[in-house]
Amino acid sequence: MDNLTAGHLRIAVDIGGTFTDLAAFDEAGRKISFGKALSTHHHLVEGIESTVKGAGVSFKDARLFLHGSTIAINTLLERTGADTALLITQGFRDIYEIGRINRPDAYNLFFKKHDPLVRRSSRYEVKERLRADGNVHRELDESDVEQLADDLLARGIEAVAILLLHSYRNPAHELRVKEIIQKKLPKAFVTASHELTQEYREFERASTVAANAYIGPRVEKYLGEIETYLKKLDFPGTFYAVQSNGGLFPVSDARVECVRILESGPAAGVIGTQAICAELGLSDAIAFDMGGTTAKAGVIYNGKPLTSSSALIGGYDRALPIQVPMMDIFEVGTGGGSIARLVEGNALRVGPQSAGSQPGPACYGQGGQNPTVTDANLLLGRLDPAHFLGGQMKLDVAAAEKVMQEKIAGPLGISVTQAAEGIVRIAATAMSYAVKGVTTERGLDAGAFSMVVYGGAGPLHASAIARELGIRRVLVPSSPGHFSAYGMLFSDLRYDYVRSCFERLATVSFDRIEALYQEMEERGRAAIAKSAIEPDSIVISRAADMRYVGQEHAVTVDLENAIFDRADRAAIKSAFDAVHLQRYGTSAPNEPSDLVSLRITVAGLMSKPPREKLPMSGEKPPDEALLAPRKVCFSAQAGFVDTPIYLRDKLQAGNRIHGPALIEEHASTTTLMPDDLLVVDAFGNLDISVGGGK
Amino acid sequence: MSGNAAKADPITVEIVRNGVLSVTEEMKTNLMRTAYNMIIYEALDFTVGLFTATGETVSIGLGLPMFIRGMSETVKAKLAKIGPENMQPGDILITNDSYTTGSHLNHVTLSLPIFHEGKLIAFTCCMAHWLDIGGSIGQVTTDIYSEGLQIPIMKLQRAGVLNEDLVDLIKMNVRLPDTAWGDLRAQITAVTSGERAFRSIVNRYGCDDVLNSIAAIMDQTEAEARANTRTIPDGVYEAESFMDDDGLDIGTHIPIKVKVTVAGDEMTIDLSEVSHQVRGFYNSGITTGFACAQVAYKCLTTGTTYPVNDGSFRSLNVIMPPGRVISATRPAPMRWWMTFPMTVIDTIFKALAPAIPDRVIAGHHADLVTTTLHGINPLDGRFFIAAVGPLGGGWGAKSTEDGVGVTVCINDGDTHNSPSEQIETKYPILVEKYELRQDSGGAGRHRGGLGAECVVQALAPIAFNSTIERVHCKPWGLDGGLAGDGNLIDVRVNGEWRGKLPNAKMFTERIRPGDAFMVRSGGGGGFGAPVERPADQVVFDVVEGYVSAESAERDYGVILDASGKKLDVGATQARRQTLVKSKAAE
Repeated sequence: MDNLTAGHLRIAVDIGGTFTDLAAFDEAGRKISFGKALSTHHHLVEGIESTVKGAGVSFKDARLFLHGSTIAINTLLERTGADTALLITQGFRDIYEIGRINRPDAYNLFFKKHDPLVRRSSRYEVKERLRADGNVHRELDESDVEQLADDLLARGIEAVAILLLHSYRNPAHELRVKEIIQKKLPKAFVTASHELTQEYREFERASTVAANAYIGPRVEKYLGEIETYLKKLDFPGTFYAVQSNGGLFPVSDARVECVRILESGPAAGVIGTQAICAELGLSDAIAFDMGGTTAKAGVIYNGKPLTSSSALIGGYDRALPIQVPMMDIFEVGTGGGSIARLVEGNALRVGPQSAGSQPGPACYGQGGQNPTVTDANLLLGRLDPAHFLGGQMKLDVAAAEKVMQEKIAGPLGISVTQAAEGIVRIAATAMSYAVKGVTTERGLDAGAFSMVVYGGAGPLHASAIARELGIRRVLVPSSPGHFSAYGMLFSDLRYDYVRSCFERLATVSFDRIEALYQEMEERGRAAIAKSAIEPDSIVISRAADMRYVGQEHAVTVDLENAIFDRADRAAIKSAFDAVHLQRYGTSAPNEPSDLVSLRITVAGLMSKPPREKLPMSGEKPPDEALLAPRKVCFSAQAGFVDTPIYLRDKLQAGNRIHGPALIEEHASTTTLMPDDLLVVDAFGNLDISVGGGK
Repeated sequence: MSGNAAKADPITVEIVRNGVLSVTEEMKTNLMRTAYNMIIYEALDFTVGLFTATGETVSIGLGLPMFIRGMSETVKAKLAKIGPENMQPGDILITNDSYTTGSHLNHVTLSLPIFHEGKLIAFTCCMAHWLDIGGSIGQVTTDIYSEGLQIPIMKLQRAGVLNEDLVDLIKMNVRLPDTAWGDLRAQITAVTSGERAFRSIVNRYGCDDVLNSIAAIMDQTEAEARANTRTIPDGVYEAESFMDDDGLDIGTHIPIKVKVTVAGDEMTIDLSEVSHQVRGFYNSGITTGFACAQVAYKCLTTGTTYPVNDGSFRSLNVIMPPGRVISATRPAPMRWWMTFPMTVIDTIFKALAPAIPDRVIAGHHADLVTTTLHGINPLDGRFFIAAVGPLGGGWGAKSTEDGVGVTVCINDGDTHNSPSEQIETKYPILVEKYELRQDSGGAGRHRGGLGAECVVQALAPIAFNSTIERVHCKPWGLDGGLAGDGNLIDVRVNGEWRGKLPNAKMFTERIRPGDAFMVRSGGGGGFGAPVERPADQVVFDVVEGYVSAESAERDYGVILDASGKKLDVGATQARRQTLVKSKAAE
């Protein structure tokens, strides 16, 4: 099936909120090229077209097209999805609206709940009922479903989600309902919960399947447009989408399981980090991404990204849960556009309100009246007013200074510099909590990790954030602004499956476990066999969600295949004890344990772009890399110091730079604090020893 | 050791503020993920916090608002009894004394003193609801001794060494010893992980700067509370309401009366005219009496300010004599401590409605709407206790927006309901429905949120218990808005609903396979006259099924055309005029 003659390019495109990024790997010439263009929200395909042109590559020569996009998440968050109906077991029509009834903002009388994607009059009840063990309590009333389908047809419903209780134990009713609906509404997008997740918790499953239906028609249309576009360009290869778990799947899968691509961009960044770890022989690293409004952190642990079995989309208070495997990414509302303000009692706050791109920070000169993190960086000399975005945008220092004085420094009785430096420090600590969210809260010691930093604003703050966490090594990859697209080039085909399986470990039959794993594995192998590309090899990874008997929350334990060959209960138990100890600081080796769910990942490994080393130059950077020095403030006490400025593009492998210094490139600046030491490594990464220059 | 706010620099203050929030977040994560009973891990019925060396609240994580005082007062009581000089690193102090925590014996509360260079600098604290603490079940208790094991203030762990004798004593006195022991271990994890997180902040920023910053955070919160109190017109505001009964003297209402005095930037909440303590188990301790006033005050003045800290309450005076139903004294029974205080809080909002109509909220369902089951589980032949609920109920409307539907009551914050798929997997029951209650929200210019209805069928013999309140005192409306429906329960035997129950309380009601119980939570009160609600919004409510066509016509004066989906303009105009006239005639 593998169409190797078709082309030699692997083209990855990531469409983000502001930019569309491209990274292309030439399998023949063994080189990677990049492209960048503004995203075109009215017609996203245009953005792809301009990046391809900009990078000087052609789809005619491509073997693979790998794609991540904000289309799915934006359709969800901006509420621009389809007219959707939700079919649900009788008696449970309202669970999607009721949700989990919690009120996290507990003292706010004006609190709000989540806002369902399907309104009540579009939620229909199905006459059927299964029991918790999967047995039928009430037979499915098929004629009733037929009538209901007529009503959906008459109403012009575009998408239908199906959630029946306990379908994770027995999907028969969901399958039959889907069949009836599809027959009656052949044009509608129809999706059933068990196809996406086979874990218990009806609200979370309802939310997942409703989201899939809601975004389905739009995502399907979008992917179809791209396919048409690719065909027009005589693209001879295969089109894959990037999932929220960082893996690839064929576009035919993405068109029906749209909810799996919600967080494709951020996930690809973590995959890129994994690639850098492989390059450098690192087993543990934090993937840190900072943009205009948020900062996100993911984790590579023992060489693999940490994933989570579900995520809350849209903030904790009003979240819509999505129960499919995703990269474990923690997000905080701090970015370059975060606004600094004083509240009652002269208390200083930074974010989560953001100036966005309109009006943007005060220094953009577009009427922004609030000082932001970007303004603070400018006032500290860390950003060059003349060369922001490669000089495309001039920054207005006076405007930044005025709002900083009026809004912060004046009322607090401190200097503008003190205020700016303080804001940047507060932002750094706030962002360090994103990192703690995926490390400390998972029982990992952040200080023992290296940090790979990307996104436009990340390298500016990385050294300060690292100090908050005791991190000693920061890596800024080349083209940090294209990092998600770059990461996609390293993705593998990936299928994740899960089956609820409530059993005592001590008594569970290994035959039953093996049957469930085998069934999932066969599905995965079949899915990969269907794909046009034959992977280098297939890797099966098993895991189980486990808990002590009596506990509810389970932790996911990776289990080697050999354990099952030996039917080794004790090994499973001790693996679980170890994970529990690592995560929570306690374990109970003498307490019995439960299996809750069995998980499997079927990965089809793809060949990776090469790790070719650059020739090493001397320690001293070439003269053409050095720009005129600038006065920059690194701490309010020390004030402004003459600081050398380097052009990243001109730096060569082997160059060493002692802090303080700034390294500038298009759309990003790296801050090297006074006691940091930077080495340009053989792969072109800026490898910073935090505090290592003393 | 305590801090000096004047010495704090504004940058470090904000950094420490973010830091203490993350300390309590981490404690919460760890407790939740390691707990053994569903009330902790699924309902999140617990509270974690960080306190000063004198027991003042620095940060309380998301948890039970009603426990806003419980941990601080418990730390203070521990300081008073044991003395700071007798505490050392590695100690963990325990108690569940109802008259200290203000709540029931299920609330086992652990505190860990944190030292820096030999000096006591702070405490972490963790309260969690244990599923069982012994005592009699399935009846209204009449004194504390029948409610279970009382653990006085003592050391659970001394210099890192666990008091195994105490653990044995506890295990022998509870029905589910393994669960209790698992929860206790989870609580130890929570307080020790909080200590570790706080110490890392102290190590990074310096102990003095951190303590000074904490003092400044509390001052900042105080400033905000005072500023927002100043905008309330000075005056004396009063309101009353009542509870159904104490579970024993059925039909004897229990009066709640509050008096709020606002003068400048201070508020005084006088709760001395709340009913005296009662015979049945609806009492709570004086700590909770103070909490009633503080929760109401925080909602009105610093509602979205974090961390939750004691700076919020310096401008609040509370008059709370002992012996009231929310300041009960030994040996008053306290098992269902949480119910009455919620209505006290709502009554404070009601009192202030004339003064600040745009900041208060109409009455809510004001009950956990939780029922408990016990019996022998046919799955494993073992005794079980299960909670069905909290169901969530309707919240009151405000001057600017509708009330929120089916959300947990004000006693709780980040409390979740239990998935039906989960409780059906664990217990011999089948949930027949869990849905919105049409028309349960009070009509108004802004409608009250809807309550829920849940019907649960027994698959094996079970005993059913309900302690639900507020059947008779319905969640009131404000400014002409109508009341929402009250809470309600019923039992179905051989297909017949019993009906006509005097209240929503039932104890050890035997339910056989195939029979069922039903629980309905109340709606929220409306705000403003219903005829002022835009007709298209009423039509929307009818089309979506939140409001019936009958209620639309009767309460709102809105009539839909024959399609049942569109407004009948003429008929509506006429009906609304009639309603306005008859209202004027009143």
